[in-house]
Amino acid sequence: MSNPLLFFAQIFSRRHPPSRVPVRVHIDSVSQASSTIFLFMRRMRAPLITLIIIFSVSVVGLTLIPGVDPGGNVAYISLFESFYFMSYTATTIGFGELPWPFTAQQRLWVTFSIYLSVIGWAYAIGSLLTLVQDRSFRQALALRRFTRKVAHLREPFLLVVGYGRAGELLAKAFDSLGQQLVVIDESSDRVDALDLGSYHADIPGLVGDAANPHHLTAAGLNHPFCAGVLALTNNDETNLAVTMTAALLRPDLPVVSRTVSATIAERMRAFGTPAVVNPFDRFGEHLRLALNAPASYQLLTWLEAGPGAELPDRGSPPTEGRWVMCGYGRFGREVTGDLRAAGLKVTIIEPLERGEPEPGVIVGDASDPRVLARADLASAVGFVAGTDDDTTNLSMLATARRLNPRLFLAARQNRPASAALFEAMRVDALLVPTEVVAHEVYAQVSTPMLWRFIQEMPARGDQWAAELIQRLRYNCGRELPALWKVTLNHEQAPALDGWIAEGRVALGELLRSPEDRDRQLRVVPLLMLRNGEPVLTPDDETVLAPNDELLFAGEGSERRELESTLVVDSTAAYVLFDQHIPSSWLWRKLSRKSPAPSTQSGGRLR
Amino acid sequence: MNLEKVVFGFFVLLAATLNFGFFIGDISNPDLHNIYELFAALAVSLIATVLKFGDRTQIGAVHLATSLVADLQLVAASVVWVWAQEISAEGMSAAATASVVSLSGGALLAKVVSVVLLVIETVTFHRG
Repeated sequence: MSNPLLFFAQIFSRRHPPSRVPVRVHIDSVSQASSTIFLFMRRMRAPLITLIIIFSVSVVGLTLIPGVDPGGNVAYISLFESFYFMSYTATTIGFGELPWPFTAQQRLWVTFSIYLSVIGWAYAIGSLLTLVQDRSFRQALALRRFTRKVAHLREPFLLVVGYGRAGELLAKAFDSLGQQLVVIDESSDRVDALDLGSYHADIPGLVGDAANPHHLTAAGLNHPFCAGVLALTNNDETNLAVTMTAALLRPDLPVVSRTVSATIAERMRAFGTPAVVNPFDRFGEHLRLALNAPASYQLLTWLEAGPGAELPDRGSPPTEGRWVMCGYGRFGREVTGDLRAAGLKVTIIEPLERGEPEPGVIVGDASDPRVLARADLASAVGFVAGTDDDTTNLSMLATARRLNPRLFLAARQNRPASAALFEAMRVDALLVPTEVVAHEVYAQVSTPMLWRFIQEMPARGDQWAAELIQRLRYNCGRELPALWKVTLNHEQAPALDGWIAEGRVALGELLRSPEDRDRQLRVVPLLMLRNGEPVLTPDDETVLAPNDELLFAGEGSERRELESTLVVDSTAAYVLFDQHIPSSWLWRKLSRKSPAPSTQSGGRLR
Repeated sequence: MNLEKVVFGFFVLLAATLNFGFFIGDISNPDLHNIYELFAALAVSLIATVLKFGDRTQIGAVHLATSLVADLQLVAASVVWVWAQEISAEGMSAAATASVVSLSGGALLAKVVSVVLLVIETVTFHRG
């Protein structure tokens, strides 16, 4: 325990009943950095003192030696002139012998002090340069700069731990939403990549071990504007440590954590309620959804891919028949379980026999065509290449396709560099674990309503999903538009206050253009939350109530038009009831004297 | 015995004594205040300041602060002296001498605080 006060705080806290308010433990993250700087100041002591002594001796010595003035009289130069002479001589500027030419004795002393002072300066400057180039000193400076940058953030930010492939995808998606981020990664290469990446915002990045709570605190874990922690490293243990630290120090923060191990996921859930993302698990669920409802799956992947994503193709995996599963590791087990749950038969090929043999398991190297032949691919409908080696997966896919060209091919891509190869292979379903994580985290964190929508969506069936995709494509094009949220309260919809309370606003009326109310806005309402109850794709007749939350999909220009309806009284009156009311206060006062407008908007004009 | 403490105590005391030596005497009489003493006091005071660089203790920080105050006062006194001696038409007048000496008097006060701190540090060390 570094701080004895913390120790005593713990002892004393045991005597009192535990308080309900979570205690914010303060970890001094700057102390590490400042200790390094103190150490280096300490190291500068010797050179500086040497310099002061050399200077004093030379300056005093020069004033004590008699010189000769132009008149031929003996004259001593003053302390100030001596200091001036030594300053320009020692720093090798050399203006000459001032105020008058020196005598031989003075020159002797000056020669001596020149050599002395050059040594002194070389020592001091050399120490300073060594110090500046020292690695730990530079790291300490970088940490200080980073800490200051984070401390000055004045908008909600997400703390992203691990800037790998998933982190990068997420950073791009959140940056385009205008969400501020702070990044920690172990590798300096990745943080350099962050600096080089073209982001709208200035994203502070720290090279450091995220399992160290000091680094997390430096990255703003205790910052009042920290809005959430995303643990996305490749290392499950690190993610666990991050989840644990965040849960203990900031129990109020949402945490999203990535893992591929069910055990680690259990251990993470022991600390509060982190959202654990297991890419293998999710891929299995997605595959099952794709088998049962291809359109729902298409909609899901489209919405999760973030703004600007192209509409993915709708796959048509075989829903009956036998699948062949190569590689029965963690990934294989998850997917096999999901396939069997969907009522499909699965033949497993596994290079190593583990434990007791299960029925339907062929032991052998799946990249060997003879082993593949034993799995009887000709009668199978689907094939999953799920080992953790991309080369093996690709060669298995090629062999399988040669044996049975009609097979539905699913594969797991492990390295980002292999992306081009898998694309050229034209597999039907591809798992890229980092992308699954990125999309999943995006859906959970970007807006909670999107996550709600995604959870409720599969229950609505395939037909509904296909119609919604048609509607989105018609209104917004092939690229996923921005999703945004509107709460019908006084802050976000002041113009509608009275009418909504009276129950006179239908959704279809609201979504009209302020320029021409006969034109419907190209906006699709995806979800309405009323008192926490979700309504998916509310229809035009839905009557809005105060504090309803709505999730819309639509282009930015349409969004601005809707916002002007929500905020400007006269626009709202026109859009909803086709009435023209003056927008300025004076004209409204004047128009009240004229024959009153119809009763519909009278209430608002008071 | 801690050599660092000995060295630091030596320089702090030396700076205080030199400063006192310069300060003592009729405040307006330039003959009673040797400029070499002021120079020595400034040099030793600078060394005492540098010796406290990178000290993380509370008392070390206060030491650094008092030393910096003393340095500032002594530098100001030296500048006034240079101005009077080299630039001003009157030379070392009584008024100029008085301001040099009173500035060094301020530095002396800071030095006294430094010495008191040093003594406090020593006494608490013995108690512990």
